[in-house]
Amino acid sequence: MFVTATLRLAHDPIAAAADHELLHRHGGYVGSATCKACHPDHHASWRATHHAQMTQLPSDTTVRGAFDGRKVDYAGDHARPFREHGRFLIDVPTQSPEARGRRTAEVALLVGSRRYQQYFEKQPRGDSIAFVRLPILWHIEQQRWLHLNTVFLGPDDSDWHKNAATWNENCIFCHNTGPEPRIRDSLGSRAMVAQFDSEVAELGISCESCHGPGADHAAGRQNPFTRYSQHFGSSADPTIVHPDRLDQERSVAACGQCHGARLPNPLSRIDDWFTTGPTYRPGDKLLDHVTPIVRDTPVGGGGDPELFALRFWGDGTPRLTAYELQGVLASPCYTKGPMTCGSCHAMHEGDPKGQLRPDRLGNTMCTQCHEAIGRDVQAHTHHDPTGSGSSCVECHMPKVVYGVLEIHRSHRIENPDAARDAEAGRPHACTLCHTDRSLPWAAEHLQRWWGPAYRMPTRRADGAPLELPDAIASLHAGDAAARAVYAAAIGRDTTAPSADATATQRAHLAVAMGDGYPSVRWLAQRSLMQLEQRAPIGLSPLLRAVDSMDGPEARSRAVYATLDALMRFGTQKLQPPVSGALLGADLRLDLRAVVRLTDLQGRNLISIGE
Amino acid sequence: MTTAQQPDPLTQPDSATRRALVTGWLLLAFSLPLGLTLEALHAMKVQVYLGSELRRHLWTLAHAHGNLLGMLCLVFGALGPRIAPAPARRARLATWLAVGAVAMPLGFLLGGVLNSESDPSLGIVLVPFGGLVLLIVLLAAAVAALGGEAADKP
Repeated sequence: MFVTATLRLAHDPIAAAADHELLHRHGGYVGSATCKACHPDHHASWRATHHAQMTQLPSDTTVRGAFDGRKVDYAGDHARPFREHGRFLIDVPTQSPEARGRRTAEVALLVGSRRYQQYFEKQPRGDSIAFVRLPILWHIEQQRWLHLNTVFLGPDDSDWHKNAATWNENCIFCHNTGPEPRIRDSLGSRAMVAQFDSEVAELGISCESCHGPGADHAAGRQNPFTRYSQHFGSSADPTIVHPDRLDQERSVAACGQCHGARLPNPLSRIDDWFTTGPTYRPGDKLLDHVTPIVRDTPVGGGGDPELFALRFWGDGTPRLTAYELQGVLASPCYTKGPMTCGSCHAMHEGDPKGQLRPDRLGNTMCTQCHEAIGRDVQAHTHHDPTGSGSSCVECHMPKVVYGVLEIHRSHRIENPDAARDAEAGRPHACTLCHTDRSLPWAAEHLQRWWGPAYRMPTRRADGAPLELPDAIASLHAGDAAARAVYAAAIGRDTTAPSADATATQRAHLAVAMGDGYPSVRWLAQRSLMQLEQRAPIGLSPLLRAVDSMDGPEARSRAVYATLDALMRFGTQKLQPPVSGALLGADLRLDLRAVVRLTDLQGRNLISIGE
Repeated sequence: MTTAQQPDPLTQPDSATRRALVTGWLLLAFSLPLGLTLEALHAMKVQVYLGSELRRHLWTLAHAHGNLLGMLCLVFGALGPRIAPAPARRARLATWLAVGAVAMPLGFLLGGVLNSESDPSLGIVLVPFGGLVLLIVLLAAAVAALGGEAADKP
């Protein structure tokens, strides 16, 4: 009696974890607090991941941004994050273009945990509420505020509320467990007016996202005899899913349900999605529930016909994050081999950044299958076996994917091909390191090492001259994705030219700091700072003063000041520039030629939100 | 006329008392170093120990129960004749006290060897067994201490 009374009166952490208006316990979901009771170690290792913190309620421990009352300026207006009575508030311009004024928004939900944290406020919609994204976010690594318009792959835009997405019909799907948007209206009437009664089983990506709803498992395992018979038996527990023990297709699906942008299959299921949520559950075949979006996926409803195509390079390789599934499905390692996500990634061990398996870091990720190559790496790579040129992923999973203001590795595992990449307008693995070389140079090496199957490129998709170093040509003439990829690549410490041999790259990065896309400017500035750190010539004070959120005049001043400083300091401290790269021996840039290249961007305008 | 002098059980322990004392000292001799070992496992961040919350819990319980029950045995060794003056009953109590006092920490210790994340290994069955034995011993000792038997009863 005493025990029963105590248990009834005492705090129940499992019940408390479900005690929020946003949380449900439909569909067999029980929440991670229930799992923790029996799996404390796996709970702890999951809790340390960014998955666990993907969506959170605001508190002193979860909010990462500096709500210190300082202004965040952008496009002639500002926001001011501050705290009052323990609440997290942001003073923002009003949304209505007619009545320009200010209002105070209270942060009610946080999304993002690694690169940046986004803030959502509750907005009343009739007798319901929606969570709407606020216009500034906190960049966790850089410890600073940024306007949303400056982190996505889109051009400068002074509309402060352009990216005011609604959580209930966007983020809810892949940043939470067991999402149920519960839109009240038909899809035709959604956008910024729809009403929602949204609920999720758990905020963030928790146990049941990958292992499936756990109610049957938890109930069945309360009996100790059942548990011990399971411990000593050899059969798998049918009431719970272990992704690593599924067949290849089903195993990849557990990750691909979110890491692969998709449409319902059949499309008519879209209404179900927006009411009771996606129908896929771990253990299912994903393609029975969804159709992954590919370059040729038609856009219905009179939408922008390029909507999906823009998310891929010309050859169909994904160029945005959240398309990893599409990359894997197109990889020979998957189609002809046994590769699953678990071949390289682990959800409960290793560094939460990237979640790579600690037992398969470096080339062992690949040589676990490609053993012969692993025995003599140099014979395969023709590069120093200890350098980045012999890193499997640098050539076969190059960093050509944009997302969250960073460039990530492609998950389409394939061989580099200069002609293919030139025609597809896609960054090329060789020239991402050899930033001073052209695509024909790369093709010539591929032919020499691997045979005539590797063609010489005959044209570039962006229209720039083939003989230019690919990195330079792409940095100016490529579309925004290509420019962003090369702006990030040039500064990496894995690049082939030594840092003191990058006069050419620095001059062109300086120009890219004036790009019309703030994300390209951000990456170009970062690369310049990285080069400056490795081989300083005195540009640092200038670079520190540059801000990717600056307006056009400040940007222009920064570009010219940097080019001027490069001429003054670089001739003494840097090796002479490479020939044919639009830079004279005095480090004076051929700006007319550069403008001719940047003019080619005009036919490559893209704008992709996240 | 002389009479055979009965040994004073408080100064000259009989076999039952000695059994309780030996058990107590041995349990302490095992459990105290176990505590030091656990501290060392912490200090050296040994993953086999720190990586399993259940194992840490069980071995901590083994350490704590070993010490406390060891001290209980010593108390019985010291006060046994007062608690249970009758030698036969005292011997039975000492035996079962030793069984229970050893079984509980041993069960916790073994439960943390080859355990799964959610459940102890089968060695854990020694814990409820030992607990039950100790409960009976304590009740019997209480009954004996309440004067349920004559002090001079053989």
